[in-house]
Amino acid sequence: MSGFMYEVKKIMFHQRGLFYIALVLLLGTVWLALSDSPYDNAMEQYKNEYEWYLEKVNGYCTEESSLYLEQEAERIAEAKERENSLLENYYDGKISESEYKKESREMEKVLEQQNGFEVIYQQYLYICENVGNRCFLQTNGWMGLLGKGTLNFILFLGILLIATPVFCSEYSCQMDTLILTSREGRKSSLYKLLIMITVVLFLSLSISLIEYEFYRFKYGLPNGDYPIQSIRYFADSSKGISLLEGYVYIGLLRMFGGVFLTILLMFLSVLAKKYAITLLTGAVSVIIPYIGLSKTSVYRLPLPLPFLLGTDFFSGDIVLSDALTGDDKIIFAEVNTVMLLTLLFVSVFLCTLAVVWILRRNSNRWLMRSGQKKRAEVFVVILSLALALTGCSGRGKTESVVYNSSADYDCMGYEIIRDAGTFDYCLKNTSTGATYSLVRSPMFGVFSDEEEVRAFYVCPPYLYYTTSVMESYVNRVGNYNSNITKVSVIELNLNTFEEKIIFEQITNSGRSLLGIDYVTGDKWKFLDFHHAFFLSDENIFFIDNDGITKVNRSTRKIVKLDIPTNGNISFDGESIFYKNKQGVLTRYYVSSNETYTYENIVAYDFCMDEQSIYYVSRTDGGCLYSCGKDGNNRELISNIPAMSVTCDTGNIYVLSKEGGEEIVIQKKH
Amino acid sequence: MTRLIKYEFYKLFCKRSILVVLILFSVMNLFKINSEFHSYSYLADGNDSCSWNSVYWQLYENYRGEITAEKINHLLSIYQPLADATADMTASTAKDNPDMMTGNIYSDRNILEKYYVKPMEYFYHYRTYALKVAERAKENAAVYKERGQTYEVRKNSVIYNLYSGRNIKAFAYEEMYNYYLNYDFSGILVLFLCLYGVIGTFVCEKETQMDMLLLTNPGGGKKTTLAKIAAASLFVISVAVWFSVVDYIGFAYFFGTEEGGNLPLYAVSNFSTAAVNCNLWQYAILSALIRAVGVWTMSMVFLLISMFWRNTLVPFVADFGAALCFIITGASQSYFSNIWLKIINPYSLLANRILFSKTEFIGFAGYPIQSFQAAIFLGITVGVVSITAMMMLSKRNSYCRERRIKCLDLCTK
Repeated sequence: MSGFMYEVKKIMFHQRGLFYIALVLLLGTVWLALSDSPYDNAMEQYKNEYEWYLEKVNGYCTEESSLYLEQEAERIAEAKERENSLLENYYDGKISESEYKKESREMEKVLEQQNGFEVIYQQYLYICENVGNRCFLQTNGWMGLLGKGTLNFILFLGILLIATPVFCSEYSCQMDTLILTSREGRKSSLYKLLIMITVVLFLSLSISLIEYEFYRFKYGLPNGDYPIQSIRYFADSSKGISLLEGYVYIGLLRMFGGVFLTILLMFLSVLAKKYAITLLTGAVSVIIPYIGLSKTSVYRLPLPLPFLLGTDFFSGDIVLSDALTGDDKIIFAEVNTVMLLTLLFVSVFLCTLAVVWILRRNSNRWLMRSGQKKRAEVFVVILSLALALTGCSGRGKTESVVYNSSADYDCMGYEIIRDAGTFDYCLKNTSTGATYSLVRSPMFGVFSDEEEVRAFYVCPPYLYYTTSVMESYVNRVGNYNSNITKVSVIELNLNTFEEKIIFEQITNSGRSLLGIDYVTGDKWKFLDFHHAFFLSDENIFFIDNDGITKVNRSTRKIVKLDIPTNGNISFDGESIFYKNKQGVLTRYYVSSNETYTYENIVAYDFCMDEQSIYYVSRTDGGCLYSCGKDGNNRELISNIPAMSVTCDTGNIYVLSKEGGEEIVIQKKH
Repeated sequence: MTRLIKYEFYKLFCKRSILVVLILFSVMNLFKINSEFHSYSYLADGNDSCSWNSVYWQLYENYRGEITAEKINHLLSIYQPLADATADMTASTAKDNPDMMTGNIYSDRNILEKYYVKPMEYFYHYRTYALKVAERAKENAAVYKERGQTYEVRKNSVIYNLYSGRNIKAFAYEEMYNYYLNYDFSGILVLFLCLYGVIGTFVCEKETQMDMLLLTNPGGGKKTTLAKIAAASLFVISVAVWFSVVDYIGFAYFFGTEEGGNLPLYAVSNFSTAAVNCNLWQYAILSALIRAVGVWTMSMVFLLISMFWRNTLVPFVADFGAALCFIITGASQSYFSNIWLKIINPYSLLANRILFSKTEFIGFAGYPIQSFQAAIFLGITVGVVSITAMMMLSKRNSYCRERRIKCLDLCTK
């Protein structure tokens, strides 16, 4: 067996190199699959609608595509308006059913893809900022592949594990001197270097390819020839490269970063001859600049870190305005091509020096060299590296209860009121008149105006409410830590007044961890806009003006439901009841994701209790009817034309159409 | 035993490499503190007569000390006209206006608003806010008493006692302390240095097979293990305290002042609901001690992990990975309300503002325990358990005992 093969065997089997390689690839893939979430949630959710428009405008934004999108925006706005008036005319008897159906079918065709249009219109607005180098394309895949810019900790720890023992193990049992006396011994260090470089290149290449395949499979990576500026992360980049070129360059830089780190570790291990100092210096050379230095400084240092990160060599300047003074502050200064090449050249030079020194140190020739010269070489490498371094919840116990978003809350003898002076929400005992603060924490909302109660949901004996809290930390632009917005769902037991947080989420799309900024996507942004919510044992449903978002309480999976929220929303624990766009009462079964339309119930408004649905009929001038949950047993309750209806346990409250006064009707039991 | 500890301390930690790393990390830390000042403080704009730095300290003499109606009126008499003049954003943007302190009307308004009006407003109103909290807590206690919720009654009584006397009487510069309390970088350096220091405690003797030899020594075995643990504890506590001192001196030096030390902790707005009533300088000492406990706990866990291996590689990477996990989960969980996650993570003791900036409780046998008390208790418990495990896992001085028995046998024969 040749010396080379002996070294391969030693590194791969005795030092468990093969095991670590497999572990890095396995953990890396698992982590990638678990941690990934789409950058633009709407683009993923309305993929078909979005792609329908994308087919028409794909590529550079031409005058035609611009005109098409503007016209489409106008057409959709008109269609929405027309649809509403059509509906009014139909229910008012001004047009016949056949006319209504014919015209509404046309409107539906126009509005069929409107969710996708909103996504592409947002993209259009982004492209309009610089038409020359931005294109229409599916961005989620590319954004995931290129737009992360965070360190791959698994690869980093893997390299530490594989590269450190290569020389250190020889020194720890004093095999190094023995190796030099053998026939192939002098070549041993060269073999070691070659094997390690190959291993790290293989690891980096594999990770890059796994990432590419993962994003290609999950979101698709189309139009790789489009400019890199087409995705927001590289918005202001001055580099004229395509997305695919960007991927290749970033991949190559990361491979070089891996090799650089390996050579650094091997250099340190030959220099220090000890595991601990090699590992510490290797780890510190990556982690400390990552945490301690600004991104601008990191990308100007001849260290492995900027190459391991790679991404921001191709991103443009990031300039933000200071909230207090209004001055512009450069958060990240672009690395121009000359600087990148210089940095690369210096780094390659340092690597070469380190490699030469390692080889000389491990050949018999070094014994003949003068000590002073040897020290001078080490000093040069150390100085270069030193210069580079200094670089200048518990589950709810819900019972069956019917929720109506438009109704007042019947909270086991308490009424939710808002204090006129302090604007704090209170619980008023309807029998004794005593009031209690709704939020049980005495500190809530006292020291900050940014702490507020947003919505309520009652499911006896629990009252659930959501709070929105904004916390400010270091108040200066350029630090995501400045503001954190947090939305919580709190469960209050109305018998014992004990409270518990059952759901909590930070909604900001940008975060900072120990000064490392990273982007999490906009998937929780909807929480900032919710105005009502309800929940079941499995899910929490947040209502905002755009629809209802279902969040699984254990897996936190988000699903946006296509339910219009301009009217009352009812929930009986199993199904959501709502008026569809045509005003027809519709039932959505949460568990099966099926919908059922009550064809004969067209309502201005409705509400429901455990047994019945009460609705103001739109087809016969606003009379109030009741029916069972299945839509049968229709009964006329009042023939006074009404606008809206709400109910509580004993009464039905109707707002009359003519006088505008509230009429109270007692329920029949 | 003291001699043994002393010997182990010299052997393990009085090494050139540790000294070099300590100096290097201290210098890096000072650089980072300097960059914090220049990145975040608006007063880092030089000593020009129109700079915010100069203007701030000129005005400071007028407003420092006890907050009085005269001082507030005087401040508002300067600030209000500026606020009115700039409200519609049509005032001149000239930067050389001789009537303005900083040369620009917007700049004058901004410096007054950020550094005087808002802090003084917060200080002045804090008593009312705290009183409101105390009243609410009192009401809560009564409500829970009716419902037989003993734990909640006790918790609200603690909140009442904590907040009822709170008051910020004096105005002082608190920006330095704000950034000092939000500074985490040195904690990471301490952790790395301690990891490097303690990782060799047991492993280096195994690498050279001195561990077998040590067992033949009368002082070997468990006695040596205990001495090593004591020496490592001494080392990590010294490192943690050293970096806390460097942090404080660094911040005071680069911000050019240590004003504000006598302000209560809750004078820093991020600590408005602080868990303790103490002054900022007292908190600086408390924080240093708690950080030392956190570093000690983590180091004992590092030591325990390192006991199972014969070389440094795997335990170092395992400990490093564990430390990274603690840091990342601790930092990301710090904004959430799950108190248990904060308590069980020793990183919370390192960056202890996570525990001290909010009044949070956990229930233990019906009694409310503040999160920082629970975290300290848990930290010390984990440390002690690790030491016990190390003592149990370490070998007895068997070789020596056998030899002694043999000698005795020979003698008796």
